[in-house]
Amino acid sequence: MATLVIMPRQGQSVESCVITAFNKKVGDTVEKGEVLFSYETDKSSFDEPAPESGKILAIFREEGDDVPCLENVLVIGAEGEDISAFVPAAEAAPAEAAPAPVAEAAPATTPTAPVAEATATAAVGGMSISPRARMLAEKTNADLLKAVPTGPNGRIIERDVQKLLDQGFTVSAAAKDGYTAAVEGTGINGKVMLGDLNAAPATEAAPAAPVVAGPEYEDVKMPNIRKIIAKQMCASLNGMAQLTFNSSFDATKILALRKSLKAGAEKMGLANITINDIILYAVSRVILNHKGLNAHCLDDTMRYFNTVNLGIAVDTERGLMVPTVFHAEKMSLNEISKAAKSVISEAQAGKINPDLLKGATFTISNLGSLGIESFTPIVNPPQTGILGVDCVTYRVKEVNGEFVNYPAMGLSLTVDHRVLDGADAARFLKDIGFALENIDLLMAK
Amino acid sequence: MPKCQYVDPGKAFDAGYIHFEDIPVCQYKKTLAEEKKIYTKDDFMRIYRDMAIIREFETMLNEVKVKSNYNGVEYNNPGPAHLSIGQEASAVGEAYCLDINDFSFGSHRSHGEILAKGLSSIHKLTDEEVYDIMKEFLGGTVLAVVEKQMKSENIKDLAINFLLYGALAEIFARQTGFNRGLGGSMHAFFIPFGLMPNNAIVGASAPIALGAALYKRSNHKPGIVISNCGDGATGRGPVLEALNFASMDQITKLWGMEGKFEDGGMPILFNVFNNHYGMGGQTRGETMGYDMVARLGAGFNPQQMHAERVNGYDPLAVIDAVSRKKALLLEGKGPALLDVVTYRVSGHSPSDSSTYRTAEEIEAWKNADPIVAFRKKLVKGKIATEEEFAQLHEQITARMTEIMKLAINDEISPRMDLNKEPEAISSIMFSNQKVKSMDPTREPDVLMPKEECPRVKEIKGKVRTATDASGKPVSKMKMYNITDGLFEPIIDKFYEDPTLIAYGEDNRDWGGAFGVYKKMTEAIPYHRFFNAPISESAIVGSAVGYAMCGGRAIVELMYADFIGCAGDEIFNQMAKWQAMSAGILKMPIVLRVSVGSKYGAQHSQDWTALCAHIPGLKVVFPSTPTDAKGLMTSALEGTDPVVFFESQRVYGFGEQFVKDGVPEGHFEIPFGEPDVKKEGKDVTILTIGAVLYRAMDAAKELEEKYGISAEVIDSRSVVPFNYEKVIESVKKTGKILIVGDACERNSVMRDMASNITEMCFDYLDGPAVVVGSRNWITPAFELEKSFFPQPSWIIDALHEKIMPIPGYVPTTNFTDIEKVERAKKGL
Repeated sequence: MATLVIMPRQGQSVESCVITAFNKKVGDTVEKGEVLFSYETDKSSFDEPAPESGKILAIFREEGDDVPCLENVLVIGAEGEDISAFVPAAEAAPAEAAPAPVAEAAPATTPTAPVAEATATAAVGGMSISPRARMLAEKTNADLLKAVPTGPNGRIIERDVQKLLDQGFTVSAAAKDGYTAAVEGTGINGKVMLGDLNAAPATEAAPAAPVVAGPEYEDVKMPNIRKIIAKQMCASLNGMAQLTFNSSFDATKILALRKSLKAGAEKMGLANITINDIILYAVSRVILNHKGLNAHCLDDTMRYFNTVNLGIAVDTERGLMVPTVFHAEKMSLNEISKAAKSVISEAQAGKINPDLLKGATFTISNLGSLGIESFTPIVNPPQTGILGVDCVTYRVKEVNGEFVNYPAMGLSLTVDHRVLDGADAARFLKDIGFALENIDLLMAK
Repeated sequence: MPKCQYVDPGKAFDAGYIHFEDIPVCQYKKTLAEEKKIYTKDDFMRIYRDMAIIREFETMLNEVKVKSNYNGVEYNNPGPAHLSIGQEASAVGEAYCLDINDFSFGSHRSHGEILAKGLSSIHKLTDEEVYDIMKEFLGGTVLAVVEKQMKSENIKDLAINFLLYGALAEIFARQTGFNRGLGGSMHAFFIPFGLMPNNAIVGASAPIALGAALYKRSNHKPGIVISNCGDGATGRGPVLEALNFASMDQITKLWGMEGKFEDGGMPILFNVFNNHYGMGGQTRGETMGYDMVARLGAGFNPQQMHAERVNGYDPLAVIDAVSRKKALLLEGKGPALLDVVTYRVSGHSPSDSSTYRTAEEIEAWKNADPIVAFRKKLVKGKIATEEEFAQLHEQITARMTEIMKLAINDEISPRMDLNKEPEAISSIMFSNQKVKSMDPTREPDVLMPKEECPRVKEIKGKVRTATDASGKPVSKMKMYNITDGLFEPIIDKFYEDPTLIAYGEDNRDWGGAFGVYKKMTEAIPYHRFFNAPISESAIVGSAVGYAMCGGRAIVELMYADFIGCAGDEIFNQMAKWQAMSAGILKMPIVLRVSVGSKYGAQHSQDWTALCAHIPGLKVVFPSTPTDAKGLMTSALEGTDPVVFFESQRVYGFGEQFVKDGVPEGHFEIPFGEPDVKKEGKDVTILTIGAVLYRAMDAAKELEEKYGISAEVIDSRSVVPFNYEKVIESVKKTGKILIVGDACERNSVMRDMASNITEMCFDYLDGPAVVVGSRNWITPAFELEKSFFPQPSWIIDALHEKIMPIPGYVPTTNFTDIEKVERAKKGL
């Protein structure tokens, strides 16, 4: 009995994933647990292991395809088994039923039907939605499947889409790119009509600019996640008035604490608590007194949070990711450390649940370990601030008429000046500096 | 109700009798010997020639209709041809007495009248005059055809060819016709010869001709007006209204203003070509009761309209009668009525199989043929020989054949090409001109300097805003209101344009039923400003004739509900003549209609939709003093017919929207521009008429109770209408309600909603929703809140159809289920 491998659903909000690479081709033999293919969402990437051992009988997709979750990708089984039941309905034949040459000839050919289905428009075909709401959803990639209709007769109206956006529910941009690029509109002013989606020819099959395979450079297509990061960074800078404040604090006590924690970790059964964990802890305790920074700015509304969900900027092979530690204000230092380690390692491995990549109320980005003395972190909207943590440098201060040196750790706080003023930022920096300089007192609280 | 005429109960019941004079019936008895003293041989021969030309012209049309062939020339004419074979003597006899200052109006059966008056005019004009007329007309395009394509012996001969060709090309819908083919057989006319538009609506020319006479009377112009119609038309209300309007006492008793202005009656002759049939209905003996048309005269004034019955088969008898009536009219003794007995040998139209009359009857009338009879008379009287007549007929047939060949030649006489010139008709639907005075050569007749007019003085002391500087409401007595906004541009125009006249029911002493003309009597004389009889058809129809002659009129129907009484005059006459004349005629008429309230089913209706539906009318509906003034100013500057809706709910309202108050002096608001009365961002409310104030109340409630910001736009105009501001607003708000007091079904609101949906589809967050009155009769005032849109209905509609408002409980039902049920029941 042949085994079907489908595109898994990674998180509630994921509609489709892009296949980044196939490790096997039709006819290859695989062992259970071997990686069949890699794929990514707009936020994260994954490897799909073989559920059974056997031969690859058919592959229905190609690298670069945006495959709706739960749809068929490939079939494993014994030589000669009937796989016709698994062929996706919209396909006349598997794209790669026969070995290589055909597929190579048209590497960019995209099966059009699945793409169409993956679009927001097609996905909500059965819903009642006002033209205005539809237009807004298309412009903003709002995820209409999550919309709660509040119009008459269950119609989705503009305010419902606005709410989706406020909640951060957007549809996979990869899915959207799939049709906006390839589909030629036949409506007035080139408007893409539904019929265009279904009838969309594989325009990308036409020869693009000839690829120069010269030795001087290499053209590497930007991974999806990089495109998303690029878009978000630009959107962030374009969308708000960002202003960065730099300060430092005497890190003597936290360095001492770190030292003693390290020494006693094993004995006390503690995690390997880092300086970064201590800063997360301090922020989780101090920020609730600065509600403007533990908040989201939603158009003309401010949403102030009573919990502290800390986003942690993580450097990964695929690029920047920001996993979240939820409810940090209720956690002990040890719990924060454990939670942070867990999400960071999952992010670095590219296997994090996309639901953990959102929902942060404030973000911390630590470049101190890389020797950065000060920088201008970029706010992750709709958050209102991000705290950059810098390296330790030694400074002098006057104590009883004498100059003594001390370890100074830098803090770089960027805030959204639309909703916060300089003094708000300065007060937060002062409080967090004080808390870190007096970490013993904070922990006693 | 002039105060100078005392209604005395001591005399109202005096006993006595009404005495009638004898009405002459076919009393013409002159012998040829007597007539020879009046007419030369040329005169006799010309009378004969003109009859023969008409006969041949119509014979040709009949042959084309019946056989698609005339004298060997093939042609198919799908258009109408209502012929008057048999009636030639009546037409030529009448025209013989007229010159180009005498205007004649006719019916659908007026080819004969056109040719007769045309031929008569050509004879009376000098060569230079007639050539200039032909050269000027439509840029010389008609003349160019006959000059180039036909050989003419002299200018008069050329002019006859011009007349026959222009009329025939018009009948065949050619661009080289007298009205570029847009009038056709039933509407052909040629103003330079005093040939005014003929009319395809039976009897419709009577009130229009009355208006032309009014123009002559009120502007002291020379000449008389002939209103031609058939006997069938005498059953129509507009004809009877016109007979009365022309006869009303005030024209001779009051209009002279004690010698201040020229005295005299209405210079109009109602001439009935009595051919015995209204299509197939026999007027004498079947459909009428007057026995003879001439009897009607006795019903309209003590002079019995100088009515007479005349033998219309004898051109000399007709000339005798018409020339006597014309003399009476010129003496100021009009109006007059003639019953010209004739017979239509041809059918009503070529499809007429004469089921209503016997072959013997037709044969008998053929034997009495007026042309044959006149020829025999002239031969017998040795005025001319049969050979001369035979030669004349030969010439006429040859001429007619040549003219026909020209008129059916698609290259020489092309039809309007709407593929090549798609805007050809669009460009003449409205004249869109701005003319300060229709006759700048004359000073207006007035009774005092404008500044001394009591109303002008009164307005000077008024506050031009609804609230004073401290925000307190200005007292009603001191507040400049909508009636003042209407009055100001009207009085200004009275002193600027000598042709401006204003009339309607109770306009003068009463000041208009709602006081718009209050205290104007002292300044403007009767012949420019008077009470009309309760004759809506005659009121509007006469304005049409007045405007055709070059005047400007403001006429009023007290209630918009009376539009139905003047339906033909508004919808077929006022609306259509600019385009039907190929842009030759202008129609500067402002028809004021007032939308009532409190007065129930027949006095409370907003009928903007009826007027907006008819191409050729401009329709506006202001609801603030500033808009009333600005739009009235534009209406009076223009040259197009405007139906000017006013609302009785708001006449007394002051200016609430313009901070500095209603502008002083000349102030125009261009037609078609809606006005944002209140800015908002969440929902647009587009209003038509006085519902504006209820929309403002709804907007206030939405804002204060539900935090929803409504933009309120007053459409102000209905036709033309610029959607740009509305589109802009809908792009912003995504939601629109269109509100008005008209019954919702087939209303202007529905039309706008449909257009807005088409134009803003992608921007709409819900359907464009109409909030109009119920499709009921208007109930009594106490029940009106269940009929007319209320502020709560507007919010209900928003809540139920577009955007439910949390916590809101609607009181009315705008749901689809309810709508379906109502539609099923026709409600």
